[in-house]
This record gives sequence, structure tokens and C-alpha cells, in this order.
Amino acid sequence: MANSATAVARLHEIAPGTTLRVVAGEDEILLCNVDGTIYAIEDICTHDGAPLDQGELEGCRIVCPRHGANFDVRTGEALTLPAILPLPTFAVRVEDEAIYIDR
Amino acid sequence: MATVLKKIAPQTVADDYRHGFHDPENYVFKSAKGLTREIVERISEMKDEPDWMRAFRLKAYEIFQAKPMPAWGDTKLLSEIDLSDIHYFVRSTEETERSWDDVPADIKRTFDRLGIPEAERKFLSGVSAQYESEVVYHSVRKDLDEMGVIFCDMDTAVKEHPAIVQKYLATVIPPGDNKFASLNSAVWSGGSFVYIPKGVEVKMPLQAYFRINTENMGQFERTLIIAGEGSKVHYIEGCTAPKFSSNSLHSAVVELIAMEGSSIRYTTIQNWYRNIFNLVTKRAVAYKNATVEWVDGNIGSRLTMKYPAIYLMGEGARGEILSMAFAGEGQHQDAGAKVIHAAPNTTSMVTNKSVSAHGGKTTYRGLVEIFPGAVGAKTRVRCDALIMDEESASDTKPTMKIHEQRSTVEHEASVSKIGEEQLFYAMSRGLSEADATAMIVNGFFDFFVKELPMEYAVELNRLVKMEMEGAVG
Repeated sequence: MANSATAVARLHEIAPGTTLRVVAGEDEILLCNVDGTIYAIEDICTHDGAPLDQGELEGCRIVCPRHGANFDVRTGEALTLPAILPLPTFAVRVEDEAIYIDR
Repeated sequence: MATVLKKIAPQTVADDYRHGFHDPENYVFKSAKGLTREIVERISEMKDEPDWMRAFRLKAYEIFQAKPMPAWGDTKLLSEIDLSDIHYFVRSTEETERSWDDVPADIKRTFDRLGIPEAERKFLSGVSAQYESEVVYHSVRKDLDEMGVIFCDMDTAVKEHPAIVQKYLATVIPPGDNKFASLNSAVWSGGSFVYIPKGVEVKMPLQAYFRINTENMGQFERTLIIAGEGSKVHYIEGCTAPKFSSNSLHSAVVELIAMEGSSIRYTTIQNWYRNIFNLVTKRAVAYKNATVEWVDGNIGSRLTMKYPAIYLMGEGARGEILSMAFAGEGQHQDAGAKVIHAAPNTTSMVTNKSVSAHGGKTTYRGLVEIFPGAVGAKTRVRCDALIMDEESASDTKPTMKIHEQRSTVEHEASVSKIGEEQLFYAMSRGLSEADATAMIVNGFFDFFVKELPMEYAVELNRLVKMEMEGAVG
């Protein structure tokens, strides 16, 4: 499928160590800035099905605010219970300070 | 328990092996009521902990402050907990100043009836600082060392085995899991750390008694057990005799990790005094072909909320939860079980039996969840409740979330009162109504009692009999 032509966000909107929730088409995505690199995960905790955007980003781990599950934002892997299933991830492309989600 | 300890020959405490014992150069300390960041820092400082553990505690403290009290469960009883009116950290020698005279009369009576020896009575009621198990402890420790088994209290583990602890701690129960897990993560003290190397089978049960001292009187214990591949261990904690504590909130966290092919059995008999709120998070992970068994007995406390859980993460893993609860006057045992099947050909069995009498209330709250792809998963849940009289109550709230069609799920539940015919039959054989009732109730709990080591089984039977008479405090 063609790369999306619309930027979902601009780099300056997400400081290192923070996250930003965006919607791209039908996908709810959480953009995470880990030391300058942007990763994109689905913004739905695989444990309870609710958003992760209020959770803290600690290094490369996002911590779900409701029950503390940790996920690695680079791979989507569930690092602690109560989450078991990994988060879907999305390919990210940054061009001229604009962030695109590639499918 | 006392009988087991007497059988093991005492050894001279000539070696200076202090593993697991708190530093004798401590001083009396009781934190001010309520919880602040400073108190959490102080706890870490007094334990002389590495930075990573201090950071862990402080992070958990933030989470604890942000979370609200649960809006489910016995909210009426929960509302009696005043979080600002609790001492979250009490250092050992303070406890030893309790005199025998301060121990409630009903506890002393129970000790009499159960035939608990004097030294054990003093220990259980917090009168003596350290149980004579020190001597036994040393001889057991030598055997374990030879096998490469690590068994010590959590405080020691943090300092002497930081790599393993950091790798596994909070991976099963993260601090954010629930309000009381975050509280425990911030102020934990005591609890056990057990590591069994690959292929080792520990033949004798490891008992929490072996490393307990008053600092670890159980308020916020943190336990972590890791069984290496193919290993096997049975851990027992608690006791049938009532445990007195001046701290009204107890919130332990127990994490079990059973690696491929290993087996962990964790037995608990909880008989906290009737003023205590016992809010516990216990969870296990079982990998491929591993087995985890929770044997969970709830007799004491004012309110217990505890749902031992097993996550079956590897193919062929097996989980079993045997739980019993007795709720007498003014008590609410809100217990249950959770099993998550996240791999194919996993099996689980939950058996929960409860008795409520003299106005007590029991609740079973359980979850069985079968993930998509857990083909061939088999689960069976059985809950039976016995309600002894009109003042008592029982609720059963099972939940099943089945996302995999190629699985087998069974559930049965019953609520009953003692059969008139059974009672009549027993009484016609010469038993008094009290004895007949006790016998029938003990029979009801037999599925559980037969899994216990003999000394516990005998005491538990006696205790049930006493509870039925309403004579116990």
C-alpha cells in the first residue's frame, strides 16, 4: 500500500521521553519518543483494551496507567503481566520534522 | 509445626552464618502514622538498600497516591480503613516490648485449646522476638546451600542477589497492578526469596517460619519464588493458630515463576486476628510443562480479599487452586481464584469451598480466561458453599471469558446447609450436635486438609471444630 501522504504529527510536538496519541485512518496510535527516535504502537492495552496514552514512558517502556503492565515500545513486546499479548506496532518515517505512519 | 521442629536435632550455632537474620545493631523505630515520600525514603535508608530499590519504592509510592480505593468488593468494610491512621513501618525490637498480659484473652484460650506450646504462643503473639526456629533454621540452611538453593528473606536478597531480584521482581505483579500492590511495593519489609536451580528437587517443604522474625511479622511482606527448569519446591506460610498483630492493614504480594518443567506448590493458612484487613495479591506464571499449585486457607481476619492467580504461559502448563474459607461472626472472606490459559494444551482446576457461620460472609470471586490459540485448554471450576445458619451469607461470582472454541470448560457450584439426614445419622451414633456438625464440616474441608502436612492438618481440624462452636476469638 502506498505510504501515507499526511503527517500524523510534527517532531516538535513530542519531546523525548513523552508520548502523543494520534489517529491514522482507523488506527489509534501512540507515538513514543525514546531519546529522539519515534516509535509507534497501537494505543490499546492488550490487557484491558483501554488507551495507554496516560501512561508514563520510562526509557523504551510504556507503563499502562491502570494495572501497570509494561510494554517495549520498540517491539510491542509485553514485558510484565498482567499483559500477555504484544502490542501491534507501526513503521514510522520522519521527513523534514514531519512524522508519517507507513503501512 | 512445633512437632516438626522438635524432630530436627538442634545444631550448635558456631558458624557465623547470619544469612536471613536482621542486623542485631538495630534500634527501635516506628514510623509516624500515614505515608509520605519521606517515610518511604527512610525505610529504604534504614534498610541500607541499593539505589535501584529506593527508586522502585518511590515510584510505587507515586502510583499508590494516585490510585483510588477499589470501588468493588466489600466497599463498606473497605471504607473502615483509614490509610492515614496506620504505621507503615515498625522496626523489630519495638514489637518485643509487648507483654504477655496485652495478648487478648481469646487468643490465649485458643492456644490452650489447640495445644500450642508456650514458646510458640509467645512468638505468635509477638511477645518474643525470635522463635527458637533459629536453631532449626541453621541446620536446614546447610542442606539447602549444598543443593545451591537460595532461601532467605527479601531484604537480604535485595543486597546479596540483586541481579536475580532485579530481573524478576515485579514482572508478575507490577506496582501499578492495584492500589495495594503499589502500597506493598513502596513499604514492603520481609517476605521470602527462594531460588531453586535447574533440576533440583527440594524434598522438605520450605517454611516461612524458618526465617521469620518480628520485623517480618507479616504486615507488608514481599515474596518472590523462582523455580528453575525441572525443579520442584513446596513453600508453606502461615499457621492455624491465630496471629495477633497491632497493625490493622496487611497487604502482601507474592510472585511465583515456574520455569519449564518445574513445579511450585505454595500453601498458606491465614488466621489473622479478627481486626485485620488482609488484602493480598498473589500471582504465578507457569511456563511450558510447568505446574503451579496454590493451596490457600482463609480462616482469620476481618476482611480478606485474595484471588491467587495462575497464568499458564507455556504449552502443557498446569495450574491448580485449592481454596477454603471459613467466615465467622463479623468476618468477610472474599476469596477466589484466577486462571489464564495463554497457551495450548494447558489444564487447570479450581476447587473452592467455604463455610459461613454465626453471621459470617464468604464470597467467591473467580476468573477463567482462555486466550485465542490456547487450543486444547481444559479447565474445571468447582465452588461449594455451606451456610450454617440464617444470619450467614455466601455469594459466588464466577467469570469465564472463553476466546477459544477448541477448549473444554466445566463449572459447577453449589450452596447448601448441612443435611438434616447427615446430622441425624451422626447424632444417632452418639455424637453431640456440636461434634456431629464439626465432623461434617471437617469432612467438607477434607479436600484441602489432606493436602497439608500432618501437623497443620491436625490443628486445622481442631480449629474448625472450635470455630463451629463459636468459642474462638
